Amino acid sequence: MSATPPAPPGDNLKAAPTPAIESRARPRFRGAALFMAPSLILTFVFVYGFIAFSGWISVSNWKRPTRQDLTLRHPFGATYLEMFQEERWQASMRNIIVFTVLFLILAVFTGLVLAVLVHRVTVAKGLFRSVFLLPYALSFIVTGVAFRWIFNPNSGINKWLVDIFGIENPPQWSTSTTIALPIYQPSGEGFLKVELGIPVALLPIVIAAAWQLSGFAMAMYLAGLAGIPEEELEAASMDGAGEFKQLRHIMLPQLWPVTVTCLILLLHTALKIFDLVVAMAGSGPGFVTDVPGIYVYDMMGKAGRYDKGTAAALVLLFTACLVIVPYLTRIYRKERGH
Amino acid sequence: MVKGFKRAALALTAASVLALSACGGAGSSGSPGAEGSATGEAGGGTLEVFSWWTSGSEAAALKVLEDAFTTASPGVTFKNAAVSGGGGSNARTVLSTRLQGGNPPDSWQLHPDQDLFAVVEDGSAADITDLYQANGWEAKLPDTVKNMLQKDGKYYAVPVNAHRANVLWTNPDALKKAGVSLSETTSISDFVAALPKIKAAGVTPVCLGAKDPFAPAQLLEVIIMANVGADGYNQLVTGKLPFDDPKVRTAVEQFKTVLENVNNDSAVLTWDQAALNTANGKCATNLMGDWAFGELNHKGKKDGTDFSHVTFPGTSEIFDFVGDAFVIPAENAPNAAAEKVWLTQLLDPKVQSEFNLKKGSAPVIKDASLDGYPDYQKKAAEAFQTKTIVSSLAHAQSAPAEFATTYSDAVTSFLGSKNVDAFLKTMTEAQKNQLG
Repeated sequence: MSATPPAPPGDNLKAAPTPAIESRARPRFRGAALFMAPSLILTFVFVYGFIAFSGWISVSNWKRPTRQDLTLRHPFGATYLEMFQEERWQASMRNIIVFTVLFLILAVFTGLVLAVLVHRVTVAKGLFRSVFLLPYALSFIVTGVAFRWIFNPNSGINKWLVDIFGIENPPQWSTSTTIALPIYQPSGEGFLKVELGIPVALLPIVIAAAWQLSGFAMAMYLAGLAGIPEEELEAASMDGAGEFKQLRHIMLPQLWPVTVTCLILLLHTALKIFDLVVAMAGSGPGFVTDVPGIYVYDMMGKAGRYDKGTAAALVLLFTACLVIVPYLTRIYRKERGH
Repeated sequence: MVKGFKRAALALTAASVLALSACGGAGSSGSPGAEGSATGEAGGGTLEVFSWWTSGSEAAALKVLEDAFTTASPGVTFKNAAVSGGGGSNARTVLSTRLQGGNPPDSWQLHPDQDLFAVVEDGSAADITDLYQANGWEAKLPDTVKNMLQKDGKYYAVPVNAHRANVLWTNPDALKKAGVSLSETTSISDFVAALPKIKAAGVTPVCLGAKDPFAPAQLLEVIIMANVGADGYNQLVTGKLPFDDPKVRTAVEQFKTVLENVNNDSAVLTWDQAALNTANGKCATNLMGDWAFGELNHKGKKDGTDFSHVTFPGTSEIFDFVGDAFVIPAENAPNAAAEKVWLTQLLDPKVQSEFNLKKGSAPVIKDASLDGYPDYQKKAAEAFQTKTIVSSLAHAQSAPAEFATTYSDAVTSFLGSKNVDAFLKTMTEAQKNQLG
């Protein structure tokens, strides 16, 4: 690697990501820059340029839609401070973190279970694969409306629980204001104005989202499972390892990269969730199901506070970057051979 | 030489991409304007009217206006661009995007007072003082309402109706079963004290459709009105009376008691579902504006037998006004001539009479005939002309949009936490920061 002259920056971008093998001489296609340029320019302007503009708006004085005022608001970052002191935004942040964690656990776990089962099935494997993946093709609004009917406290699944199982007080689902497992109670005077815990009202939404996306996780795991050599599993069973031991010691470690990829891909869906929540419950009583997506929509549309809306959007971006940037950096470093 | 070629290629690509996008931009900016009529005369093109009137009685009432317009202007096609979403919150978002983009509809619905003043200040609404003078409308409207339609002596909107927001719809059978009677002289404390009695009789005392945020916000504002009166309320929404005044605190405590006596599925019910539930006997009372009257009639319920009504306890001398008005755009007007015809039709006495009959509201002009109006509406029209008119906060009329949203959010928080101190603190701070 040391004998060749340092490669110009363009070459690193055009090289296809190779697994951690020593990189051989890569084809140097000079015209590659030409092909990349339009994409790069458009991305630079429409993604990064607009993010920068949003950042500017979030520290400006633009508080009414049709009265654009891009002068800096003093003190710097006052909009962010104002936003973080609001009860509604604190509730939104709590809700999105709880939702993301619960959703990722449920979706990935369900996907893994389904993948292991479908992998073993001998009859109608294609049918099962399709059926489990089908919800992914639906729009979130459709799923949201259907699950809203299911989780309506007076009809839907509750009627079933009451009539067939005789349960006296069925759960109130998304109309409940209970916070389960509270770890903090607001005193009324402190900075934090919301109870920290798991809003019970989020559970139906987590279930609906996991129902829709576990097929996607399953598809990724099936691809990963196909890459596990059968000989290893046969060798293990000859040594006397049961199904579970095989799963734990052979399959799961090799599925780790797939798990990480799945978590990352589902993370950005979870953080940006909007239409599912709107269709199912809206912001909820006491903002128990409010999420930053709805907050941004309300701030931009109803209240017309463009500065708060963009500030909220940027906080969401930052939260996503907290996870994705280290992941991408690790991958990038691995490819360059440390 | 290789490096030179690369640099040249990069520069060429960049230049061509920018040139292409510039061409594309110039081409597309022309198209939104062409959506409306291209002809300048009232005899052609379309009239796009934007509103949030999509539910049964609202849509029927809008049809009256549509028919009146098409009769007056046969060559122009009426385009109904209504957006659903209780109280207009979805419509507002769509509208502000369109106004931002310089693509306004021909006419759009809004509330008078602060809701109108926001678009006047931004220069989106056209000055229509000449229409007022040509048709002599100033003489026909009540003074309080006129003040909500003009700024600096110029008129910007045409009102079409007057809804009363402080009406309590009741189920006579449920109240009889509980042995409770409500009349125009019942006080707010008597009402709140009667709620446990109704609950004990096995009926839900109050139906609330909290899926629409304006419903609980309206309930609270009416309770506040019952405690501080019309003057106190006007001071409250202009920031002169702080929210942590003892009378307001009492009102919020009463609201808390009412919430304890409300249907347990309120978070998933819309305002019209809650009103219908009251008429069906599922609960005893429901506070809603008299747009619920139009809706209940549309669903076949009979005043007197299925449901009854009383002015909300403690507010019998107050008319909590929620009105609708139409404006036309000041710039980029798609079909200016048709827009003037549309506005003129709105205050025609016959149109006013027919429209308000279907909508369940009171006509704004004195000379609209009330023949064929049900008893409730006749009484409401009379109340509009005689009682003290105040502007609703829950419908973003009496205060700017940001304060109204803060109020609505604070009420939503209160629905969850029932923390009176936190609510009063948030609102007092908002008064200081956002009003005056």
